[in-house]
Amino acid sequence: MSHVPHPRPCGDFRTTYSNDTSLFRTKVEGRIVYLGIAALLISSFFLNDYYLSQMITIGIYGIAALGLNVLVGFTGQISLGHSAFFGFGAFASAWLNNTTGIPVFLCIPLAGLMTTAVGMIFGIPAARLKGLYLAIATLASQFILQDFFSRADWFSGGAYGSAAEVVNFFGIDLDTDQSYFYLVLFWVVVSFLAVSNLRRSRDGRALVAIRDHYLSAEIMGINLTRYRITSFGVSSFFAGIGGALYAHYLQYVSVEGFTILLSIQFLAMIIIGGLGSVSGSLLGAAFILLLPQFMESSVATFVEYFKIIEIWILSIFQEAETALSIATEHARTIEQGKAYIKEMSVGAVIILFLIFEPEGLIHRWRLIRASWKLYPFSH
Amino acid sequence: MNWDLLFQLLINGIIVGMLYGVVAMCFVLIYKSTQVVNFAQGEFLVLGAWVCWFFVLKWQLPFVLAFIFAMAFMTIFGILVQMIVLRPLIGEPIISVIMVTIGLSIFMQALMNWVFGNSAESFPKVFGDETVMIGGLQVEMAYLMSLVLSLLVMGLFYYFFKFSRYGLAMRATAFNQQVAQSLGISVKQVFAMAWAISALVSCIAGVVLGLVNTVSNSLAIIGIKVFPAVIVGGLDSIIGAVIGGVIIGVLENMAEFFDGQFLHIGNLYTVAPFYVLIIILMIRPYGLFGTKDIERI
Amino acid sequence: MKQRILAATLALAAASSPALAEDSVFVGHLVDYTGPTSFVSKFYGPGVRDAVDYINSTGGIDGTKIEMETIDYAYKVPQAIANYKKWKSKGMIALQGWGTGDTEALIGFVAKDKVPVWSASYSGHLTDPTGKNPKTKKPAPYNFFYGPSYTDACRALVQWAAGDAKEKGISDPKFVHTGDNHPYPNAPKEGCAEYATELGLDVLPPVVVPLGPGDYKAQCLTIKESGAHYAYVGNLGGSVISLLKSCNTVGADVTYMGNVWAGDYLTIKAAEAQNYIFPTATPFWDAHADGMDLVYKIADMSGFAKDTKPTHHYIRGVCSAFYMKEAMEWAKANGGITGENIKQGMYVNKAWTPKGLEGVCLPSTWSSEDHRGSTVVSINKGSFEDGAVNIERIAEMTLPRRDDWVGY
Repeated sequence: MSHVPHPRPCGDFRTTYSNDTSLFRTKVEGRIVYLGIAALLISSFFLNDYYLSQMITIGIYGIAALGLNVLVGFTGQISLGHSAFFGFGAFASAWLNNTTGIPVFLCIPLAGLMTTAVGMIFGIPAARLKGLYLAIATLASQFILQDFFSRADWFSGGAYGSAAEVVNFFGIDLDTDQSYFYLVLFWVVVSFLAVSNLRRSRDGRALVAIRDHYLSAEIMGINLTRYRITSFGVSSFFAGIGGALYAHYLQYVSVEGFTILLSIQFLAMIIIGGLGSVSGSLLGAAFILLLPQFMESSVATFVEYFKIIEIWILSIFQEAETALSIATEHARTIEQGKAYIKEMSVGAVIILFLIFEPEGLIHRWRLIRASWKLYPFSH
Repeated sequence: MNWDLLFQLLINGIIVGMLYGVVAMCFVLIYKSTQVVNFAQGEFLVLGAWVCWFFVLKWQLPFVLAFIFAMAFMTIFGILVQMIVLRPLIGEPIISVIMVTIGLSIFMQALMNWVFGNSAESFPKVFGDETVMIGGLQVEMAYLMSLVLSLLVMGLFYYFFKFSRYGLAMRATAFNQQVAQSLGISVKQVFAMAWAISALVSCIAGVVLGLVNTVSNSLAIIGIKVFPAVIVGGLDSIIGAVIGGVIIGVLENMAEFFDGQFLHIGNLYTVAPFYVLIIILMIRPYGLFGTKDIERI
Repeated sequence: MKQRILAATLALAAASSPALAEDSVFVGHLVDYTGPTSFVSKFYGPGVRDAVDYINSTGGIDGTKIEMETIDYAYKVPQAIANYKKWKSKGMIALQGWGTGDTEALIGFVAKDKVPVWSASYSGHLTDPTGKNPKTKKPAPYNFFYGPSYTDACRALVQWAAGDAKEKGISDPKFVHTGDNHPYPNAPKEGCAEYATELGLDVLPPVVVPLGPGDYKAQCLTIKESGAHYAYVGNLGGSVISLLKSCNTVGADVTYMGNVWAGDYLTIKAAEAQNYIFPTATPFWDAHADGMDLVYKIADMSGFAKDTKPTHHYIRGVCSAFYMKEAMEWAKANGGITGENIKQGMYVNKAWTPKGLEGVCLPSTWSSEDHRGSTVVSINKGSFEDGAVNIERIAEMTLPRRDDWVGY
């Protein structure tokens, strides 16, 4: 990569190595994170089901996006098949529970491990590839796994999909959004903590070294094949956990949920959030998931105003009745395009971010924070 | 063994594969000269087909005129895409470039769904009901026309790159951008030209497919089938892309043959190319005909 | 001019202010206007929508308005389930569903939540409310649909084919199922093949054809070489058009028999099909039936039929909405509109048609043991000749209500 991913802002004084690898950069940052988690813990009592379900989905996709970020952001490998691993985790958890009767809350990490194994198998050919060839190989794995899901009746229920049981935690059914929220929150905290710690370990630095220059890394004694496969495994593990959580939240798994489009969305999440940034993964997931809903409501608002303005203009020339019917007709046409506008917005956002903000939301956030910290002498 | 069927499927595979080859050629052209992987190739093709359809049906233009207009439109479109979307990303890492074309493909797919609808529309008859018998297989005239056109396009490509000044400039840019620039070649112009040519040729392929299969957004799947083709043929060889396309076309039809006759698995037709792709990449990480990069620190 | 603007604004305010009836019930409505089945959903969905609007404008369910939210889920099962959950928390009491994948996935949910569903999926798996047939995967007590099931329609087609083969003197008629590996084309696969074998047809291995337009010459060559005489077409819309066109080019001399959604005048026109067989359970748009007046009135209210002639799938949507309406009316008179009561309301009458739709919707019977509303299948033959679509009814099959056919 030609640019430095995260230039250190001025005013950042770290003098020892242990300072450099601490989990939180400042004490304040640590306190904010703890406070945030505490706020989330009690938030489920104040929020209604709609907000809770949004937060649950953001958490689930955030875990999977975090996994992809390990692969793409840390190691510099590209994967266009992440949603297939997400799906594998979903099916694996449902299958484990349906066939063996292992309690669901244990099936979720087990499904994660199964997905790790599958991810590493697909990682073996991928370990030798890079750039475009890798992208195409992972694209192929996406289609192969998708085909497997729609055909393996014993595992995934084939084209019909399979039911996933409600999570039962020591006699309590987690079948409401409120209770499921805690399960997802638990996994979000565990996953993000794990990846933050991975990044400050030797293995994490090895991955980053491979990303920055794989030949130099190899010469420094980093086993390229081993680390590339490991990073596929780690990334698949989180995809699997996310998938399993998704399956038991919807209580149903279908092959249609895990298409190439979802893989692209995962990539979009980490690019928009910030490549290689742990918290960026969650930000990106929130952005991509909330964008269509934002578009939906803004189109609705736009249509309302558009209609009023059009009626005013038209009624200068025409009878009120005709003006109303014409404007209603136009409004309906735009309204019908809502589904397409939502899809287009995803594509447009990817393009716009890559052109104007290639380092993602987290970069913008760092800039804002720096200028606030250095006020009034920001550079 | 049902030799008749095998033979007919083989011919069908070659004919369909030639079209894959043409699309793969467009893909390689862009990759070779601008180092951009165009994931929106399929959408380019569909857009070309829709625009031509629009001119024929809504403006009531004669087919040939509509075809020419559509090609002109796509040429301009290709240049605009390069200028607006891809120029800012020159020098960015490959993942950004891949993602930007993926974003473009999502955007175009949704926009075309909105503007042209999501059902399949057919062209009015251009060649009548004519089909030609080749080796016991009925083949549509449009496919034959596409064969002729593709051969023509390939010939033009060859001439263009070998003998014309611009072709030489493009080859030089593909070889080394900095050196080319220092020799006074406008790299910007070369890039725009590559996209224009690619969009134009995609338009031809799209219209042919539209004539045979009706125009619909699901034609964009060809853009995905291009990947196995270019991996087989090598990313930097235009001739290789055409051969790769034909191989994939034949492979698909052979998969259908063994599936339908013996295995009865179902959709081997659609996934077989991807298995082959993975196997090839396991043996040769740079594709069958691709050149291995030699890197220095 | 000022007055005019004021009048227009007032008219707008009157039109856009939500008609907040004190008394209303919430119904979910799934449609696919942007996905692979939009070809037919674009007609069925408005049929339901317009019928409900008409019902509301004529007093609703004895004064109770139906508040219906329409959501385009693009034929994606997970999206349908997510919407179902959202609606459930809004207090949905009934659902107008759409596809087979989502309806079958929701069987367990709706049974638990007691939400009756009228789906546009006619999968045979939805017809066994008690699970008494050992082949039933899951009992579906809250699933209803109007018309013969996919399997029954396919059985009727096979029955017709057996007769047709005898007439034509084909000694060993062969039958093949074509369609995507997807719940909707798969639904009748087994049941129909069993009956075909029973009737003495030779059943060939099924041919997979994707659920979207494309070039299907390879598949057509397989069909042709297999020597099939009758091919069941399990997909719909663009896929069927492409398949018929490709097979026509290849010269496969096969009689194609579409499923309920694969046959309408638009498909035949676009595919330029010849002698294409397909089943129906309603009259066509320009038929002369008593109840069609009401259908025209419903379509006039929204102006749906103003520009183009709707396919008969629109009428199917109207029937579906009106069966729901009458079941709700019974429920209101017998203890209030709840899911359970609506379900009972479907069982009260035998061989019934909603009021005003006589001759449009077939007389249907649902019972707590058997959710096969109707087993009468009209078989039509359509051809595209000289720029026009000619459709004629060639047979009407009444299938027995065999116990071993319930639920699949």
